[in-house]
Amino acid sequence: MAATLCSRILLTKPGCLPLAQSVRHGSKAVTRHRKPMHILKQKLLAVTEYIPPKPSAAPGAYPSQTKRMEQESGLVRFLKKKVETTFEECKMLVVVQNNATNAEDMLLLRHRLHKHDIAIKFFPNQVMRSYLPSSQYRNMLPLFIGQTVMFVSKEPKVKEMLRVLRSSPQMILLGGCIENTLLSREGILNYSRLPSITTVQGELVGGLTLMTSQTVSMLQRHPAHLSALLQQYIKQNQPGGTPESTAPETTPKTEGAAV
Amino acid sequence: MESWCGVTLLLQQHLKILSAGLKTYELPQDYSGVVIPEKPKLKFLNKVPNFKKAKKEMKRLRDIQGPAKGATSFTYGQYAIVAMGGGYLEWGHLEMMRLTINRQLDPSTTFATWRVSAPYKPITRKGLGQRMGGGKGAIDFYVTPVKCGRLIVEVGGRIELGEVEGVLNQVARKLPFPAKVMSKESLAAMHQEQAEKEANNQNPWTFQRIARSNMLGLRRVISPFDLHNHGRFTGKFFNPSRV
Repeated sequence: MAATLCSRILLTKPGCLPLAQSVRHGSKAVTRHRKPMHILKQKLLAVTEYIPPKPSAAPGAYPSQTKRMEQESGLVRFLKKKVETTFEECKMLVVVQNNATNAEDMLLLRHRLHKHDIAIKFFPNQVMRSYLPSSQYRNMLPLFIGQTVMFVSKEPKVKEMLRVLRSSPQMILLGGCIENTLLSREGILNYSRLPSITTVQGELVGGLTLMTSQTVSMLQRHPAHLSALLQQYIKQNQPGGTPESTAPETTPKTEGAAV
Repeated sequence: MESWCGVTLLLQQHLKILSAGLKTYELPQDYSGVVIPEKPKLKFLNKVPNFKKAKKEMKRLRDIQGPAKGATSFTYGQYAIVAMGGGYLEWGHLEMMRLTINRQLDPSTTFATWRVSAPYKPITRKGLGQRMGGGKGAIDFYVTPVKCGRLIVEVGGRIELGEVEGVLNQVARKLPFPAKVMSKESLAAMHQEQAEKEANNQNPWTFQRIARSNMLGLRRVISPFDLHNHGRFTGKFFNPSRV
């Protein structure tokens, strides 16, 4: 019995069955193994594979045009309000980096600063970064990187703070805003070396009244000294002028008589 | 007295020390619409259906072929095992699933339901060593045919995917066809992804286009089943990468 590998099955409805069917023996349509496919079908499947769209630029090349506004959680908003009140109330805000401080050391530090009415505030950097650009303190942003702590107080007590910080070497002063002026580390140190207001006022008053005080001291000395000084002064101003030299001689004598 | 108050205040304040970052927590899932039924465990399925007289059936392998028509979407549960290929589920598989899942279920918080029926299709076998001929064999056992894309078991309740994933994966590996654990969202995402792929395919030549217009006379080697299913199904197998 000559078995044919292929036989043409003609049907009235075109496309009901494939025109070429292996009739002799072959597996059914549904098999447990993957049936070997006709080479043309393999080629067809290879040609019609999925091609994904190619982006014009690499995914990270350009920043996204529409910036997604992430909704802040309630905690962040609450902390932002707290930060705002702190900034409004306190005149002195100093940012300090804390490197692995002990709980015990932190407590001691807090206690020492509390004696001078300086508070230690912890705020997450995320909150600071979202609050600062919208306020007038946007130039303080570079200070809040890493583990930072804020020392705040209503009165600018820099000297006491520096003295306390000297005892804890792991707390590094970064900078701050004292009485609405941004200061770096050196600026804060210079600020601490400034004299107090009373001394400055005293200096100013002394400088202004310098001339009058000098004149008063000169007048209180022996009149001969004063006359000699004045004669010297005239000689310097007008070298060789005898009428002027005689006239002042009489006036000091009358002044001396009156005194 | 004042100093003591100050010290306690400092101690209380001191307990809260923050690190540089702020963790935002995900909100927990809302289980308001979840109702756990009276019998949350998988019920026992019979090995043999209640027939007075059992009839032998033809093989009818087309109940394995192609995509599933029914039970392709979630009803009450949140997570399910989805078949990624065709096959027959025997009573042994069903028992294994039932015992494993029921063992791990917490009846107060979780429930599971079958999405396949008890075995109803009779499979005949001839005795060992018998020659060809002599009529059809006797009924040996019953099976449930499963097509690709059908849900097998659905699990739900006040749970998250991570809690159930382990058990369901363990079960899915033992099934006679490839199966995947999916949640409602991931199933929808899969369908969406497929639709997107079809939309943004850069290849101008698609299987459907070539087959329907019989380019190069390729209908000679493609079956009408392939044409209907765009070449994604071959027998009982499913190829997810085809568009």
